[in-house]
Amino acid sequence: MNLFKINFHEAFRSLWSSKQRSLLALIGIVIGIGSVIAMVSIGTIVQQESIRQFKDMGIDVVTIRKSFSEGRQSEFNADLIMKLPEDKRRILEVAPYVTSGTEYYRGRAKMSMEQMGVTSSFFSLNKLNIRQGRILSELDKNRYFCVVGTELADFLRQNGTSRILGSRIVSDDRAYTIVGVLTPSAEGGLRPYGINRAMLVPLSTAIRSFQNADINTIMARVDSTVPTAQIKTDIQDYFQKKARGTQVEITSAEELIERMKKQMQMFSLLLGAIGSIALIVGGIGVMNVMLISVTERRSEIGLRRALGAQQGDIQSQFLIESVILCLAGGVIGIVLGIGISYLFATISKWEFVMSYSSIVLGFGVSTLVGAFCGFYPARTAARLDPIKALRS
Amino acid sequence: MNSPMLDIVDIRKSYRIGPTEVNVLNGINLSVKRGELLSIIGPSGSGKSTLMHMLGLLEKPDSGTYHIDGTKVVYDDDRVLSTLRNRKIGFVFQQYHLLPKLTAQENVGVPLTYRGISMAEIKKKSMEFLTKVDIQHRADHRPNEMSGGQQQRVAIARALVGSPAIILADEPTGALDVKTGVEIMELFQRLNREEGITIVIITHNPELALQCGRAVKIIDGMIYSA
Repeated sequence: MNLFKINFHEAFRSLWSSKQRSLLALIGIVIGIGSVIAMVSIGTIVQQESIRQFKDMGIDVVTIRKSFSEGRQSEFNADLIMKLPEDKRRILEVAPYVTSGTEYYRGRAKMSMEQMGVTSSFFSLNKLNIRQGRILSELDKNRYFCVVGTELADFLRQNGTSRILGSRIVSDDRAYTIVGVLTPSAEGGLRPYGINRAMLVPLSTAIRSFQNADINTIMARVDSTVPTAQIKTDIQDYFQKKARGTQVEITSAEELIERMKKQMQMFSLLLGAIGSIALIVGGIGVMNVMLISVTERRSEIGLRRALGAQQGDIQSQFLIESVILCLAGGVIGIVLGIGISYLFATISKWEFVMSYSSIVLGFGVSTLVGAFCGFYPARTAARLDPIKALRS
Repeated sequence: MNSPMLDIVDIRKSYRIGPTEVNVLNGINLSVKRGELLSIIGPSGSGKSTLMHMLGLLEKPDSGTYHIDGTKVVYDDDRVLSTLRNRKIGFVFQQYHLLPKLTAQENVGVPLTYRGISMAEIKKKSMEFLTKVDIQHRADHRPNEMSGGQQQRVAIARALVGSPAIILADEPTGALDVKTGVEIMELFQRLNREEGITIVIITHNPELALQCGRAVKIIDGMIYSA
């Protein structure tokens, strides 16, 4: 144990005295460990994300997007869409919506706001909760009422509105009276982006007042006991017949998660490839540094042998050095890898989760690489003929 | 306690250099008594370096037996041999062979690190032996901050620190000026006289040999009494 401590001390000293070389050897290890960590960490994030998707929205929600239409736009209208559940029994509830981004000004303050025209079913389908006031209902048809997202409410509050409910938002020369405030909810997946920054008005009002108020997207709750393929046929069939050849694209929660997993797999594969190549290159670099170190310290090895060091003592001295070198690279790599996965999560708008198992893995892999790549140089050192080593 | 400290009987060693076999040691017999200060003198190529390595357990003989401090040396286990080297032998080299990145005190402690004793104990013992060779004021200096004579003192402290059966000194004054060389020899004599330490000095310098209690000659791999 004591010898171990001394070796540890010695290893630090020796690595520090050849900083430049040690640092160069580390680059490969850093990239290697970084990639591996990022891979595992992103895997965890995606897994968490898909679980969250399921929990949030349920697996019985699909989105329908219009992809091609021969007929006039008016045929893909709200009335037709709202009748979908009556015609096809396996579609339980639909929520068509329109959305457009805009800049909202309050004095000098500015906020990018999402204007959305929604039905009352939109709230239940998206599992949106009300913090204050009420949601929109069928009775609000054509009226200038709105429900605001939590970020928008905060913006109003910060800019002089003390009582949100009952106050007005003016957009495109129309004033909308606020009747409700939403609680914060995660965006992305099937749930449309921008809900927290949104002003939600009745769909009928939106179609009359918004520019670009075409319905392009519909959310629907379907019978989850029926295979997705049959649901798709139902929906496509309906629009084909009723809206003169309108074609739609349907995405289910399952598919979304599948797509997410594919994306992650591609990324993992890439990182895995980079990671293993970098680890091999890094490992060779470490081995090289250790071999140089052994050559440079031949006389030290000879001396230590003369003073009573066993082959095992010499071997462990160099092994410890190599493991410390790799661990140092590992620590930097872990930081890098977590950084990459954080960036990836942010760009993909997924929630970042710290993967502690990846950190353990990082330490494990770097120790292994250190031991593996240090083994040959350390054995070479241990097997040197003490007399020849002393003379050099 | 009357058994000799070192006892080698009919030690032979030969090397193959290309097609020819060179006999370096041709049946050496040598006995070193406890508390003796012995010099082995010989010209270069006489086999004295090989003999020194043999005595220091760094070289395995082709035949013959070697007893050190009453223990018969067995060569086939590195661990046993290394332990024996660590406990029984204290080396002093012509070129000092101090580790450049360690302080004097740390250098002295190196042999003890292979004994599994505590850091504190190692430090204490190292200081004690630095004091014994009058170099304690250089404890925190690195080799390149010391003169040759000072470095050799540190090396002697390192040889002594493990309380070995014997000190093996290979041309210990070879790299030093005359005055410093004399001081080092006086140190060996004092250690031998006052502490009863058994010392073998290998040299090609007959004057050095005169200062030792006994001298033997090695010529062409054979020992002759001087």
